[in-house]
Amino acid sequence: MNTYSSKIDLEARKKVSALFREKFVNIVDSLFKNVEPEMLIPKRTLSNTIYDPVKKLLLLGDEKLSRKFFDMHESRKFMQTILMASIIYQALINNEYPTIRDLYYRGKHTIRYRSYTGKIEEENTWDEQSESDSVLRDIEVYTNLLREEMLILSKEKGKVVGNMRIRSGDDIIDLSKMGHGAYAIEPTPDLIEFIDVDAEFVLIVEKDAVFQQLHRAGFWKKYKAILVTSAGQPDRATRRFIRRLNEELKLPIYIITDSDPYGWYIYSVFKIGSITLSYESERLATPEARFLGVSMSDIFGDPQRKKKPYLTETERRNYIIKAKEMDLKRARELKNYKWFQTKEWKREIDIFEEKKSKLEIEALTSKGLSFLMDIYIPTKISTKDWIE
Amino acid sequence: MSISVERYRAISPSEFFYRNKEIAGFSNPARALYQAVRELVENSLDATDTHNIYPDIKIIIDKEDSSEEIYSVYVEDNGIGIPPNHIPNAFGRVLYSSKYVLRQTRGMFGLGAKMVVLYGQITVGRPVEVTSSPRGFSKIYRYKIMIDIKNNEPIILEESVYPNINGWHGTAVRVFLKGDWQRSKNKILDYVKRTAIITPYANILFKDPEGVIYYYQRLTNKMPKPPKEVKPHPKGVDLETLKEMIVRSRVRSLKDFLMEEFEGVGEKTAEGIIRLAGFRSNQSIRKMSIDDLKKLLDAISKYEDLRRPSADHLSPIGEELIKIGLANMFKPEFVDALTRKPIAYEGHALIVEVGIAFGGSIPEAPFPEEIMLLRYANKIPLLYDESTDVSFKVVSEIDWKNYGVEFPARLAVLTHVCSTKVPYKGVGKESIADVPEIEREIENGVKELARRLRQYINRKKRMEEEIKRAYTFIKYIPEVARGLSIIYDGSQNSYEIIKEKLFNMLREKVSVKNIRSIDDVVISIE
Repeated sequence: MNTYSSKIDLEARKKVSALFREKFVNIVDSLFKNVEPEMLIPKRTLSNTIYDPVKKLLLLGDEKLSRKFFDMHESRKFMQTILMASIIYQALINNEYPTIRDLYYRGKHTIRYRSYTGKIEEENTWDEQSESDSVLRDIEVYTNLLREEMLILSKEKGKVVGNMRIRSGDDIIDLSKMGHGAYAIEPTPDLIEFIDVDAEFVLIVEKDAVFQQLHRAGFWKKYKAILVTSAGQPDRATRRFIRRLNEELKLPIYIITDSDPYGWYIYSVFKIGSITLSYESERLATPEARFLGVSMSDIFGDPQRKKKPYLTETERRNYIIKAKEMDLKRARELKNYKWFQTKEWKREIDIFEEKKSKLEIEALTSKGLSFLMDIYIPTKISTKDWIE
Repeated sequence: MSISVERYRAISPSEFFYRNKEIAGFSNPARALYQAVRELVENSLDATDTHNIYPDIKIIIDKEDSSEEIYSVYVEDNGIGIPPNHIPNAFGRVLYSSKYVLRQTRGMFGLGAKMVVLYGQITVGRPVEVTSSPRGFSKIYRYKIMIDIKNNEPIILEESVYPNINGWHGTAVRVFLKGDWQRSKNKILDYVKRTAIITPYANILFKDPEGVIYYYQRLTNKMPKPPKEVKPHPKGVDLETLKEMIVRSRVRSLKDFLMEEFEGVGEKTAEGIIRLAGFRSNQSIRKMSIDDLKKLLDAISKYEDLRRPSADHLSPIGEELIKIGLANMFKPEFVDALTRKPIAYEGHALIVEVGIAFGGSIPEAPFPEEIMLLRYANKIPLLYDESTDVSFKVVSEIDWKNYGVEFPARLAVLTHVCSTKVPYKGVGKESIADVPEIEREIENGVKELARRLRQYINRKKRMEEEIKRAYTFIKYIPEVARGLSIIYDGSQNSYEIIKEKLFNMLREKVSVKNIRSIDDVVISIE
C-alpha cells in the first residue's frame, strides 16, 4: 500500500470497494445456484429521464434494463461491463487513481477465437473509448456509486478563486492566495473539506477568458464572491463542487453564460442536471442556481416590464451575431423541456426567436471591464434581475 | 407479260438434305463437329438403354491433319448392334430407319447419322467406317460406305467379316469431317457432361483431340424403364400420317382401321367417330379421298369421349436418376427432382421432369437469368438458343427471393420434356416453344422443388443461427470468468470453476455438439 496516500482517500476506498464488490459477487453466487448471469441496470435513456418538478431535478426513472450474458444482444455488453468492473475493483484495492482513459486502455485487448466456419476471428474487448465510457456509466447506475466515489479521475477543467480555505488530501489550500492562477477543482470534490469561507455569493462564468479578467481585476475581493469558471460545459467535479458550496455553505449561486441556447443549456446542467447523466443529478445538480445573464432582455430590453437594455442600439449592433438555423433548432428543443417551460424562460426564448440574434459575454466588456464588473453584475444582483 | 416456265426435277432425299444442311445443324465446321458427336452418341444410347443394356460408350475425336481442320469422330457402344444386311442402308440411304414405330427415342427419323456421313463425305471425301455385331452373332462385320447422293444409295467400298471371339455386341462408327475443335470445344464438353448427368447408369469415356480424357463412371444399376411401342392416338395424327397409315394398313373398312391402328379406340368409339364424320362403318379406307380424310380428322378432333393418350411409350429419366446425376456432377448441398404426371398435348402424352441442385461446385449466378439451366428434350441435352426456351422463361421469371435464394447463388435447374411430340422452336431443335400447357407443367414442377429448397435453406439458416449464437457467448466466457473471479476472490481456481459453470449453462441452452472445450474456441493471442 502506498503510505503517502491520504487517510481520507484510504477510508473512501475501503467503503466503496466493499459496496462495489457486493454487487458483482451476487452474480457469482447466483451462478453457483444455476441462475443465469444477469444485471438489472437502470436505463439511461431519454424516455427514462424524468424531470422531478418538486426537487427540480432531472432524475432517472424506474425503468431497468436486463443485461443477461446469454442474450445475443447483451452478451458483448455484459462481457464489457464485467471487464470494466474488474479493472475498477483492482484499481480500488491497489490504491490507484485511474482516469477514464486509463480504464479504456487497461481493458482493451483482443479476443482471438475459431469461429463456427473454422476461420480464426479476432474481436477487441472494446474499440472506442465511447464503449468503455458507456459501460462505466452503466456501472455507476448499477452500483449506485459515482465514478468520483470509485476514485476514478477525469481531466480537471473547472477553476475557483475566492476568500476561502479548503483541505485537499493532507494539505490546506488558501483559495485567496492563488496569484494570477486559480485552484483547479479536483476530480474528487467529495474529498474536499471546507475549512472557512468569507464570501456572500458564488459567481460562475462560463468563459475562462472572462473569469481571468474578473479575477485579475479583483472582482471576488471587491464583491465578496467565490469566482468559478466551468470553461464551457461543466464537468462533474465542478458541478459537485458548486452543489456543495450551495448546500453546505448556503451560498447563493449566480451563473453568467453567452446569450444563446447553448449558454442556457449550460446553466440548466448546473441547475437540474444533464440528460445523458441524469443518474448523477441528485448529487451534482444545484436546483437553487440562478441564471444571472446575459439575458435577451439585457440586450433588447423588455418594454412590458419597462426594462431598459444594457446596451444601446449602436453598441449592440457591433456585437450581435445572427442566429444560425442550428441555434434556432436548439431553442425549439429547449422549449420542449419541462424545466424551460416557465414564464421567464418562455419570454427569453420568444425574444430570441423574434430577434434571431445572439450575443457573447465579451460584448459586455466592450464597454470596459468595469461596466461588466461594477455596473452589470452588481445591478443585476441588487435588482434581482435573474431567472430562477 | 412473259410466261416463265419452271423446270421440275426430282431430287433425291440425300441431295435435299445436303442442300439444307443448316436444318440438320451442319451450318459451319464448329457446329458440324458438335452435331456429329451428338448424333452418334444419341444413336449409341438408343441402342443401349432403350434395350435394357447398361451403356458403355467411348467417344474419341482425333485431329487427322496437322495443317487442315480435319477430324475423325469415333463413337463405340455396346448396344444391340445392326444386322449386317442393314448396315449399308442404315448409313448410306437417307430415310431408311428402324425408327418408324411410335415410342420415345432420342433420334426420331434416323436422319442424324446419315447427315454426318453426308457432311463428312462432302468436306473430306473419306468413307464412314462402321463396325457392328448384333447380340448373339458370332461374327463382327465391318464396312466402309459412301453415299451416292444423286440416287440415294449406299456405295460399299469395303466389306469384311471377323470372328467375334469375346461375344462383343454393339456398333462402332468412325467418320471423317471438317470441324473446328477450338470453337466447338466448350459445347462438346458440355454436351458430354450433360448427357452424363442424366445417364448415371452409363460409362462414358471421352478423349478429345488434345488427348485429355474425360471419364464419367457408372454410378448406379438403376435404369429408366424402356419405352413401349404404342399405336398413335387419334388426336395425334395429321393428314400425312393418316395417308401413310392407310397405305400400310392390312384392314379394309374404316371401322376396323380405327379399331386396329389407333390407341384407345374400341367398337363404340370407332362407331361414334364414323357417325360424327358421316361415313358408313364399312367405308373402304382405300377409297377415301383427301376431302374424306379431312372430314375424318375433323370428326376426331371434335369427338370428346376419347381416352387420354397413354404414356407407356415414354421413358422419363426418373427422380432417383436425376438426383444421382446432379449430386455426382456438382456435389451440391441440396438436390431434389420431380417427375410430373403425364399430360396430353395435341394427342400425344407428355411428361415434364425437373431437378434442382443448390451449392457445391455449381458456378455462382449473379442473377436469375444466369442460373445454370440444364435443358433436355427426350433425354437429349439442349445447348443452344437457351434464352428462347420455355424453361428459361420459367426459371428467370420465378421470384427466387420468395424461396430463400439470395443472389449470387449456386443454383442449377434441370428440365426434361419427354414426348413423341415436342414443340421445338425453329428447325435447330435446340429450344422448346412456350406452349401454355408445357410452361405450366415446368413452372409447377420447378416451384414445387423450389419450395422444398426453401425448407432446406430455412432449416440450414436456423442451424447456422444456432451455432452462431453459441459462438457469440462462448468467445466471451473466458473474459467474463476472469472478470468475475477477480472480484470474487482473485484465484485461478474460481476462474476455472466459473468458466466451466458458464460453459455447462451454454451447453444446456444451445447445441454445441462439436465443441469439447472453450480452449478449442478461444485461442491465446501470443
